[in-house]
Amino acid sequence: MGETFTRVGPENLGIFLAPGAEEAGMASMMAEMISTNLQNKPGRVKDYNALRGTIWITATDAEVDITLAFTGGGLIVHGGKVGHPILQISADSATLMDLANITIKYGMPYYFDEVGKQVLNKIKSGEIKIKGMVPHIMELTRLTKIMSVK
Amino acid sequence: MAPNYGTDEWESEYQAMLARRREKEPPYIYFTPEWTALYEKLIQQDAQYKEAAKDWEGSVVLHVEPAPDYGLDIDLYVFMDLWHGDCRSIRLVPPEAGEAGDFVITGSLERWTQVAKKELDSVKGMMQGKLKLKGDLPTIVRSVRAAQRLVDLSAEVGGIFPTEATEEQREEFKKAMQEVAALY
Repeated sequence: MGETFTRVGPENLGIFLAPGAEEAGMASMMAEMISTNLQNKPGRVKDYNALRGTIWITATDAEVDITLAFTGGGLIVHGGKVGHPILQISADSATLMDLANITIKYGMPYYFDEVGKQVLNKIKSGEIKIKGMVPHIMELTRLTKIMSVK
Repeated sequence: MAPNYGTDEWESEYQAMLARRREKEPPYIYFTPEWTALYEKLIQQDAQYKEAAKDWEGSVVLHVEPAPDYGLDIDLYVFMDLWHGDCRSIRLVPPEAGEAGDFVITGSLERWTQVAKKELDSVKGMMQGKLKLKGDLPTIVRSVRAAQRLVDLSAEVGGIFPTEATEEQREEFKKAMQEVAALY
């Protein structure tokens, strides 16, 4: 595995880029962002460790998609769609950056400030599409927490 | 031999080169020292950038890869010294200084031209792997609006794109880059 998968960040986090994933800049960015966040905010590691399942993210304007395969304490980031995602998120690049800017308050995503309201409005208007949100709300909350730079 | 970057001697030689080159009237060719000086002034006067970047600390470097076909034979580093909404300076710096910047965004001359023409959004470019970012990603994501404003302002400066320059302008660009390289 070490020969073909590229480790991102420290060994204990177990974050890898699948072969070829680095060609999609978004894959490297997401892997690096989650890794740095977990190092800077160790309180969120428990959310990372509890997250299992695959999540597919598409940047619609950039025509780039990636799959995050969480294994409960490990993550492999693939280019493209892999497996059967439990959550499918699509938005334009700038909006995906907004998702990474959601404030985490009292351990939960906070949707009542400017960025939070914008995200909710974009979900309502369909600019952010999230498939699987209702049955997998816990996974979405955990993903938001480990993605958030706030 | 060129003086060391960061010394008063280097700055003095840079300013002398800039003064010589600014004797000619705009429009200037993108990424030349004289164009960079206009870009610096525009950022310094931009209220929108000041507000978006009020918490920003650290340098941002635009790294333009060599493109000999367009007269760029060197790696070009546009070093922006930014601090809490202020643009303290923008200089074309030697590679070792450029690579040491807090955030280095690398792309080909064609890609940067697309960005400056607003044909390529910088965030989208990074997601597509057309622009590569080196630096603490969460920090730049937190200030994504400030980063986008910087890029927007590069489009507002205006000027001649090296990729679209006439033969004469390309020679002028090449000469400017040789002067920059003399300070490496």
